[in-house]
Amino acid sequence: MLDSPTVVLSLSINTFRELVRDRMLYAFVVFAVLVTALGILLGSLSAGQTMRTLSDIGLAGTALIGGIVAVFSGANLVYKELEKKTVYIIFSKPVTGWQFILGKYLGTSLCLALVVFAMGAFLAGALALFNATVLTERAAGFLWLISRSILLVYLELLFVTAMATFFSTFTTPVMSVLFTSSLWLIGHFGQSLRDIGRLSENPAVTQFFNMLYWMLPDLASLTRFRGDLLHGQELNMQLIWYLLCYVVAYIVLLLTVAAIITENREFQ
Amino acid sequence: MSAAVIQVEGLTKEVVSSFRRKRVRILDQFSLTVNAGETFGLLGLNGAGKTTAVKLMIGLSRPTSGSVTVLGRPAGDRQSLARIGFLPENPYFYSHLTAYEFLDFVGSLFGIKHSERTKRVNELLNLLSLAEAAKKPMRSFSKGMLQRIGIAQSLINDPEILFWDEPMSGLDPIGRSDVRRILQELKKAGKTIFFNSHLMPDVNELCDRIGIVHRGRLLVDDTIIKISKNGNYRDLEDFFLAHVTDAENLSKTAS
Repeated sequence: MLDSPTVVLSLSINTFRELVRDRMLYAFVVFAVLVTALGILLGSLSAGQTMRTLSDIGLAGTALIGGIVAVFSGANLVYKELEKKTVYIIFSKPVTGWQFILGKYLGTSLCLALVVFAMGAFLAGALALFNATVLTERAAGFLWLISRSILLVYLELLFVTAMATFFSTFTTPVMSVLFTSSLWLIGHFGQSLRDIGRLSENPAVTQFFNMLYWMLPDLASLTRFRGDLLHGQELNMQLIWYLLCYVVAYIVLLLTVAAIITENREFQ
Repeated sequence: MSAAVIQVEGLTKEVVSSFRRKRVRILDQFSLTVNAGETFGLLGLNGAGKTTAVKLMIGLSRPTSGSVTVLGRPAGDRQSLARIGFLPENPYFYSHLTAYEFLDFVGSLFGIKHSERTKRVNELLNLLSLAEAAKKPMRSFSKGMLQRIGIAQSLINDPEILFWDEPMSGLDPIGRSDVRRILQELKKAGKTIFFNSHLMPDVNELCDRIGIVHRGRLLVDDTIIKISKNGNYRDLEDFFLAHVTDAENLSKTAS
């Protein structure tokens, strides 16, 4: 029988090559320009303020630019193969729906890792450059904090990519972008949704917002944690583990449904 | 008598048209059998149902009713897909890859080991006169070159059965002659070949048996020898046109 890991790996490498050769890495250049400009603008502030503002905005920029890359590349993931009819080549070979989805997802995630970690490294470099004490006094500790924060950003983007991949199996890229961006945004306002629901006197409305709150991962907590992490605050590790498991389970669920849809799909 | 490797029974395929949401029958009670080592040519006008028939045999599409078995397994079964090669009509490939990378990628989908893949890819690039273009991205390829790379990818796993949809499409006379030569070599090697074509001289030269499909129905399923012995027709083209015209007149009378 065929070697499944080899098939998945080949599909991943092909997707990674496609994204890199489609100049997806230009997103990093946008980020680099943004952070450098911000660093120069903040040059007039005191060292502590510069570092905090630059790190906060830099991290948010990493999440935003990485998110845009995840949404757009994920939304096109399956649709592009259908539109260009390259699926005829793939599914006339002994490839299953789940191998295809997993391969495409891993390839996109790999490319995203490259973009996100390059942005993280640039941010660390920019912070060091604009505040030389970072390098001399607590360089190792600071790099560790940045790395952990960037890992949390990457975790969130893995979820966004899985959502976009899921939608791309049954709808157009425009709709995928719309659905994924909306859910991504809602995920950041989870607690607020619950509060809105509580304000209503209609129990159905309250229940609807409650359901929405429970249906989506609490991305706002991930954002809060990565900020806390960067500023060296104590973290609730139990909650972090819970969020991590929740997001990973969510990704597995989305990819499983995407694989089932692909497996049962007809290619006209 | 060789064993049947492709068996199609009562195949019907209906689709819902995007215009008026009407059900359209593309294939209608289509049945045929292809034996091991045979070269079968399916002829038909544009929109007759040739490509749909091939897609159903590969498992890319599912029948509304009827059945297809390839190498004794249902169409689309992974074990039988590992033993077949498919060239789609107007093949589309990954334009970001070079010819070498693409063939290597396709080989890996069959689980072929790296060293074996390298050998096979180089052999096929030479066979299809693509060795010089091996490192060029496929976005720079002409239609004929894409057709040849399509043929190469369908041979990467040394398949037992080949499904080629319009293999001569887009090829210049030299390219066509190359493909004819390859088909003859494959035939000699005992491969089963099923192909769709409009080009009567090629079909006449290469096929053991032909089928004519018109408006989704199989009108004729006969050997080239029998057809050529039939004195009522000048050549295969005359035979084809006579059957299609008769069927068309019959359907006009009926309606």
